[in-house]
Amino acid sequence: MSETPDQVPAARAYQGGMSQAGRPQPANLADILERILDKGIIIAGDIQVNLLDIELLTIKIRLLVVSVDKAQEMGIDWWRHDPMLSGRAQALEDENRELRERVDELESGKGS
Amino acid sequence: MGESGRYLYAVTRDVDPQALRDVPALSGGTLEVLEHDEFLAVVSTVDLDEYGEEALRVNLEKLEWLEKAAQTHHAVIEAVSDLGPVAPMRLATIFLDDDSLNRRLDEWRHALTQVLDRVAGRLEWSVKIIAANGAPGASGTRDPDNRPASGADYLRQRKAAVEQRSQRESESQQEAHRIHEVLSARAVATRVLQPQDPRLTGHHGTMVLNAAYLVEAAEGTAFAEEAASCAEAQPHLEVDVKGPWPPYSFAMLEQR
Repeated sequence: MSETPDQVPAARAYQGGMSQAGRPQPANLADILERILDKGIIIAGDIQVNLLDIELLTIKIRLLVVSVDKAQEMGIDWWRHDPMLSGRAQALEDENRELRERVDELESGKGS
Repeated sequence: MGESGRYLYAVTRDVDPQALRDVPALSGGTLEVLEHDEFLAVVSTVDLDEYGEEALRVNLEKLEWLEKAAQTHHAVIEAVSDLGPVAPMRLATIFLDDDSLNRRLDEWRHALTQVLDRVAGRLEWSVKIIAANGAPGASGTRDPDNRPASGADYLRQRKAAVEQRSQRESESQQEAHRIHEVLSARAVATRVLQPQDPRLTGHHGTMVLNAAYLVEAAEGTAFAEEAASCAEAQPHLEVDVKGPWPPYSFAMLEQR
């Protein structure tokens, strides 16, 4: 491999368009991690790698994989929420809040 | 250098160890192929100052370290997969010495044999199908010509929009299911995986299918073409085909 790991900034964007020449497609890291952490053969070695740590790790990776810029661009602030919350649950919650705001607005006579 | 351990990348059989000689190992080490009965264990020596329990706890959380380790681990497995059947280990499977490693191979002999038999001559393809979320104006945006006359009217409109969206979602699910059936017919085995989190992948829309297909190596191209033509037939679905991968998703042991 001809990569230059020393030049990799910690908060690099792993999605589209940020690939440096000669490096593997950045999005691949997420796919690789999905496979080498979740799939494959799990045989306990002599060195204990705590399973819970691996789970926490994937959550942390999800945070890191999306760079801060990209995250803000996408309106991401999910680390303030339950990390297990699904996108759909979040969308419903958002819609709920929007609806409540709109109803308040209408009831106060501004919206009609 | 402190104490050392033996890092196990993969178990294989019937391959020429010489072919792996130039594949880089972790931490600048050298890849070795250990013969144990019918198995070949692909290993390298790692420093426990870097790969011990304490060190791993810290290192696994450093993205740069993890990225390098993940890609090196994956590159070794790909190299083995190019040569023969591969039973890939999860990242950071480490033994204190070869005796301990061999004992573990004996313990898992039956399962490892099953995995190698299952994946021999076959590779994995990944297909993800993403449905775009809603048409313009379906939710969120407010159309000035269609302003709700009252709160109740507004709620009715929102309810209709939500129902419409959920119907479109269920249609996308059904189309994805049909594509999955077409592709499954070309695969030896399939696994439906958890949809990936859009916040991880950056995709927009709903991932209605994340599946892995175990396909005969010789039929990989035909499989990818079939997937591409399914994608063309459903322009509103995004069909992401990746492969071939080493058969990670089909190398899981039964006892879990």
